[in-house]
Amino acid sequence: MDSVALEVLLQTLISGLLLGGLYALIGIGMTLIMGVMKIINLAHGELMMVAMYMAYWLFVLFHIDPYVSVLIVAPLMFLFGMAIQKFLINPVLKVESILPENQVILTVGIGMVLANLATIFFTSDYRSTPVDYASDAWYLSDYWRGSPIELSLSVPWTVSFVMAVIITIALWFFLSKTDTGKSIRATAQDIDAALLMGVNVERMRLITFGLGAALVGAAGCLFIPIYYLYPALGGRFTLIAFVITILGGLGSTVGAIIGGLLLGIFESLTATYIGMGWAPVGRFAIFILALIFLPGGVASLLRRRRLGG
Amino acid sequence: MRQRWVVGVLAFFMVFVFAGFSLAADTVKFTIPLPLTGSKAKFGEIEKRSYEIAMEEINAKGGIKGKKVILEFEDSQGKPEISRAIAEKIIDVLKQPVIFGEYSSSCSKAIAAVAEERKVPYLVVTGAADNITQQNYKYVFRMNPSVSYYTSGLRSFLKEVVKPKTIAILYESSDFGTKGAEGMVKDAKKLGIKVVLKEKYESGAVDFKPILSKVKSKRPDVIYMVSYVMDAALLMRQIKELRIDAKLFAGGAAGFAIPEFIENAKDASEYVVTATLWSPQVSYPGAKEFAEKYKSRYGKYPSYHGAEAYSALYVIKDVLERAKSWTPEDIRVAMKKTNIVTAFGPIKFEDREGYQNQNFMDTLVLQVINGKHETIWPVKYATKHYVYPIPRWRDRR
Repeated sequence: MDSVALEVLLQTLISGLLLGGLYALIGIGMTLIMGVMKIINLAHGELMMVAMYMAYWLFVLFHIDPYVSVLIVAPLMFLFGMAIQKFLINPVLKVESILPENQVILTVGIGMVLANLATIFFTSDYRSTPVDYASDAWYLSDYWRGSPIELSLSVPWTVSFVMAVIITIALWFFLSKTDTGKSIRATAQDIDAALLMGVNVERMRLITFGLGAALVGAAGCLFIPIYYLYPALGGRFTLIAFVITILGGLGSTVGAIIGGLLLGIFESLTATYIGMGWAPVGRFAIFILALIFLPGGVASLLRRRRLGG
Repeated sequence: MRQRWVVGVLAFFMVFVFAGFSLAADTVKFTIPLPLTGSKAKFGEIEKRSYEIAMEEINAKGGIKGKKVILEFEDSQGKPEISRAIAEKIIDVLKQPVIFGEYSSSCSKAIAAVAEERKVPYLVVTGAADNITQQNYKYVFRMNPSVSYYTSGLRSFLKEVVKPKTIAILYESSDFGTKGAEGMVKDAKKLGIKVVLKEKYESGAVDFKPILSKVKSKRPDVIYMVSYVMDAALLMRQIKELRIDAKLFAGGAAGFAIPEFIENAKDASEYVVTATLWSPQVSYPGAKEFAEKYKSRYGKYPSYHGAEAYSALYVIKDVLERAKSWTPEDIRVAMKKTNIVTAFGPIKFEDREGYQNQNFMDTLVLQVINGKHETIWPVKYATKHYVYPIPRWRDRR
């Protein structure tokens, strides 16, 4: 392999890893909700869109950097998610219906309403990142003069990735070390058992939906410096989160992280070596293959390993 | 008593109905399909505003043959199946004898099929895919040059100034993108430029760096991109990030030619050239006035889509004034004989080079210089001298 081919490969892997980290953060929120509620939240991308507009306006009006506004937007999205759960989804849970999945349909409706409200309030204009460092990067040749290959590492992408990792670790800590976190996991594993153990399932549902919304909200803030926003962008990210959730194994947090990273790296490799036009095809191929050959997702692989060894 | 009441109500309705008729007699109403929501809504909005400006001007000068023009807009959401349904409604229910409007190529194509089938003339305003006017349709006319001709100006700029040996082509996987890329491949062949890479991408993608590092490894002289606005900005930002030093970065109209491109790509947009059909400073009659009116009202200059929409209504006015009667057939005959100069440029429908009822016109090249789009080519329309060769990324600032 000559140096040019090596440069392309390394640059592709870097891009894939950074993209995957962000994908994982979007996927985790949906996975959490999936685990506890047993429904796919199809308004996930729209929640991210709402968070992106918050971060955007916080910057434009108050000059708060998107990375700082994570601290404001994520709690707001937490409240927003809880409100959706309490006032919209809970009432539907209690209603007898022909379709057992009518909460899923409700989330589709919520997504549409959010997208259309955003069109009304913010117009359909594309808005780009307001930050100045959007295309700054670190270059290998600046640090190592004689380097045979040139690699670059985008500043905002890297910062976003690192923050995604920090948020993920914080989430893991919350889920495994705190009482509330353990209750959420208990609810996800077996609602009836959790109820019998005295877990307030209704409250866990509230917290979970809030947490899911907060996570995707944080992801939205991290996307502001590297992407752009418009009211209809939700669908694309809902789809990505959906694929990650299936790939990772419905409801598994670790699975979602691995699923996100896999999807990111897979997409980058496809883009370089097959063609970028194939990315959506590849995404669905993964989706279908995962459903057929790995119905439990990455999580089932992990579990099998643990039982076997 | 009761009877009087009934008579009263009847009389009321009669008045209402007659009022309606008399209103209808001195107005002419057009329904225009446009994407007003969804991801193409930005362009739908520009066009809607421009149509409205043209409508106000025409009405202020006495309308079309003394009839006041009323425009109504139907939202197609940028989806061909919805455009098709709107076109069917316009023809079958509203009985409108001529259709115009819609933004994207795929939607325009859907309407063209309906119009041809129902034998009602359709004026394509912005849809640029070549094959819309290559299907031997008799009732479909197009005022904007097709996408292969978008670049005729750029082609001569490449030939006379840049003289590249290799080119890489990136395009979005839509009708417009694919046709634009094919056009460039043909141009490159004519000019003896080797196409080292031709890759499509999914519009709205987050990360172009994998494909761009592949482009970088091929070291092309020119990178040519056919993209809508946000992809265009993201592409240039990531090109800057990877420090890909081509001799020229060129865009095929659409996303590169509108002011938002500069706002979004910021300093990464500097020196990028783009083919375009129109710019606010061109010397066609009414162009500057329209651009200024639009700007004073909405705060920024319209893109060429706006000029196309604005001029489309004037073309319709001209055609209807010349038509023997307002039946689809007579309107078609009159439209075929159109020969006027609008704010968008000269409009004349010709059958040549495999196209039918197609308008052929000079296209321009813009370059971003000091954060502003300047016309640089053809030299007779230039507002600034072009910057070439462009500095390497490392040496900028």
